[in-house]
Amino acid sequence: MIKRVEVNYRGIFQKNLGKKIGSDIVMIASRMGQRAFSNGRYSDSPERNGIPCKYFAFVSPDLPEEELEAECGAKLEIDEADVSVVLDDTMCKGVEPWGWHGIRPINERVVKDGCLLVVSKKKPEELLKFIGKKPYNYRIAILDGDASLAGLWVNKDDMTHERILGGIAAVDPAIISIEAVESYLMDKTKQKHRAEAARAAYESLRAEAKPPRVKTVTPNDGIDWPHKIPVLPKWFEMQEGAVVPAVKRGFEMGPRGQNRNPGFKRGTTKTQRPAVRFDLCTKCTLCWAECPDECFDPTTDGFYDIEYQYCVGCGKCAEVCPVKECIVMVDELQFEDDHSPWEHWKKDSKEYIAWVEGKKGKERVSYPVVTGKGRTVTQGEVMPEGKIVPVRKTEEVEV
Amino acid sequence: MSVAVAKAKSDLSGPYEREDLLNGCQAVAQGVRLADVDVIAAYPIRPYTEVMDALSKLIADGQFDAEYIIADSEHSQFEIVKHASSVNARAFGGSSGTGWMYGMEALVVTATDRLPPLFVVGNRALDDPGAFGVEHNDAMAIRDMGWLLCWVTTPQEALEHVLIGYRIAEDKRVRMPMGLAMDGAFLTHSQHMVKVPSVAAAKKFLPQYDLAERRLHPDNPISVAPQVNEDWVMELRRQNWEAAKRARGVIKEAYKEFNDVFGNRYSAPYYFDEFMTDDAEVVLIGIGTVAAPARTAVRRMREKGQKVGYVNLRWFRPFPTVELRESLSRFKAVGVVDRDFAHGSPDDCGILMHEVRSCLYPAKNRPAIVNFMGGLGGRDLSIADTQKMFEITQQAVKKDSMDGFITWIGLRE
Repeated sequence: MIKRVEVNYRGIFQKNLGKKIGSDIVMIASRMGQRAFSNGRYSDSPERNGIPCKYFAFVSPDLPEEELEAECGAKLEIDEADVSVVLDDTMCKGVEPWGWHGIRPINERVVKDGCLLVVSKKKPEELLKFIGKKPYNYRIAILDGDASLAGLWVNKDDMTHERILGGIAAVDPAIISIEAVESYLMDKTKQKHRAEAARAAYESLRAEAKPPRVKTVTPNDGIDWPHKIPVLPKWFEMQEGAVVPAVKRGFEMGPRGQNRNPGFKRGTTKTQRPAVRFDLCTKCTLCWAECPDECFDPTTDGFYDIEYQYCVGCGKCAEVCPVKECIVMVDELQFEDDHSPWEHWKKDSKEYIAWVEGKKGKERVSYPVVTGKGRTVTQGEVMPEGKIVPVRKTEEVEV
Repeated sequence: MSVAVAKAKSDLSGPYEREDLLNGCQAVAQGVRLADVDVIAAYPIRPYTEVMDALSKLIADGQFDAEYIIADSEHSQFEIVKHASSVNARAFGGSSGTGWMYGMEALVVTATDRLPPLFVVGNRALDDPGAFGVEHNDAMAIRDMGWLLCWVTTPQEALEHVLIGYRIAEDKRVRMPMGLAMDGAFLTHSQHMVKVPSVAAAKKFLPQYDLAERRLHPDNPISVAPQVNEDWVMELRRQNWEAAKRARGVIKEAYKEFNDVFGNRYSAPYYFDEFMTDDAEVVLIGIGTVAAPARTAVRRMREKGQKVGYVNLRWFRPFPTVELRESLSRFKAVGVVDRDFAHGSPDDCGILMHEVRSCLYPAKNRPAIVNFMGGLGGRDLSIADTQKMFEITQQAVKKDSMDGFITWIGLRE
């Protein structure tokens, strides 16, 4: 028997977290007398900020190590996962790995009766608005919390790692038992609060826990997957000389007016997206000029629409926008599609402002570039419609 | 022209317009002029240096017009050539010895990107120790990278193979970089009377370079060689293999076309030349300038009634597997002359020996085979040396053992 764990993480920000979870599954399973090993999807290694990446751990009570390696190792990607861990719930919208694999469902590898274990503040039903249907039953388990997003290549020691181990023990004790998790964490760190964090996570996912955080997902739950899974071409179908089509020249004013690469969008990289109050915009052009991914389309009336499929959520536009509350970064799971915000606003400006303010909510979450500090949360405010708004003071502009 | 003395000859007409005294490097430069190359990138290293000297002089004298870029190293030089080729410029580069090896990264990607510039390699021993003489290991380093690779033996062939090389490399069925190798010193710096084709004849033979759908241009938006990872590389390698296979046919076509324009200069099977092999029992096979002493030895031994012959291998990549197998399996014994080394390889043979022996393995009649390591680092290979090699090969016919399987020729011992 083999048990496979997949850890979906955000490139760079959760790199060490993903690897630590894989390593500790091996250590704990070994202490339980099982064979185990762990690896990452190697091609993800030169990962970029926020790119969805994967780490794996494999456990077997009966196979010798070489056979376990032969079954699960030396492969680009695993075929199936008993537990698919999702360290940031915005990846439920799909993940687009390297190499033009297209946007893949987050639960693609989850086996029948397996479990999608998601770190989230949302309910299973809210996440299932983004997750593709499976032809069989599986479980979705929510480990209550915000995504642990560290700085560049560092680990943010916020106990997410310990809680994930406890969570795995709860949803599939054949991989690692909670007792083994606790004893391992105690032996390794001598810090009781780490073992307690794992235990608390474990308890929160038990059947009798209130509120219930594990839901059985049936073939009726979830959405029809909106993204086409690309079929990779045969050798004689490919262009010779490692040539791939690039962006065709073409530019028109308005939404989707400039040509972009249809084959590689990277939109699943974002955890937040810029929400715009067009009525506050001074048409200063900075968002359009500074966007590293050229996501802004100029419109005939001097505004800048956003093509969210290409936005990686870097936050540069919100950072350079001189007007308070004009461009604000908002949790990606607030949005079910990538429709043009400018068209929405043009159609019904009052309805749009109400809609966008609803998405923005009260909290303004930002990720300072200082390594390891993670997120900061401040309170936002609702600006009156169409008024001339005071430009942000210098000290309020993040550097 | 100062070094190359222009000499009008009344019997020259048709495709050749004059006869000049040219060494191998200058002959290549004339070939580059006649191929109407657009971009030249240069960085000096002996013996290749004289190619860039000759080219810059042609440009300075107003005889030739091309972008001539001096790079800061071979690595940059080869990158410039590769990039020029990708935007549909006919591009030329070259080097020798360790300089060639220094640019290896660019050389490898030029092949994978399936671009067809031509590089001349004036073969030179790989330092250390500092040595200028010929050894083939430098050019051989690209043999498995998806390159075309051929050796010439005279300045005349060198000039003509610049034209033939571009013709093959740029063919849309091929589009592989072309390595034109020539023995350092013995050919690069050896002056001979060379018939220089007319511009019109060169133009008639060599079509315009057209990278077509792969031309890097704003009107043809493509990305060349992005990060592709595991899911794409194997298919690309398979394409490279296909191109290398197709090149075998295109090479034949190119020589036939060349013969049509320039008279019957080359004979089938083109990939290699056979000399006095019709009734031969024992042959030597070698690469480069060793052909001259070897053929002379054949002539002299034939006078004494010995049935010997010589095979001069011109095309190393693609290797003429079928033709050479068919040819060599006619003989009782084959001696392979390596001007290169592959220490620690199977039976410690040279590179050419490995290729020939591997080629002969499926043959119905496998000849006895022995290996000669000779002429390393520019050491002479004389008529007497080649005669000695023939004699050892003749003895191999009767031998059952591997005794004397490898002989070092010209070694002080």
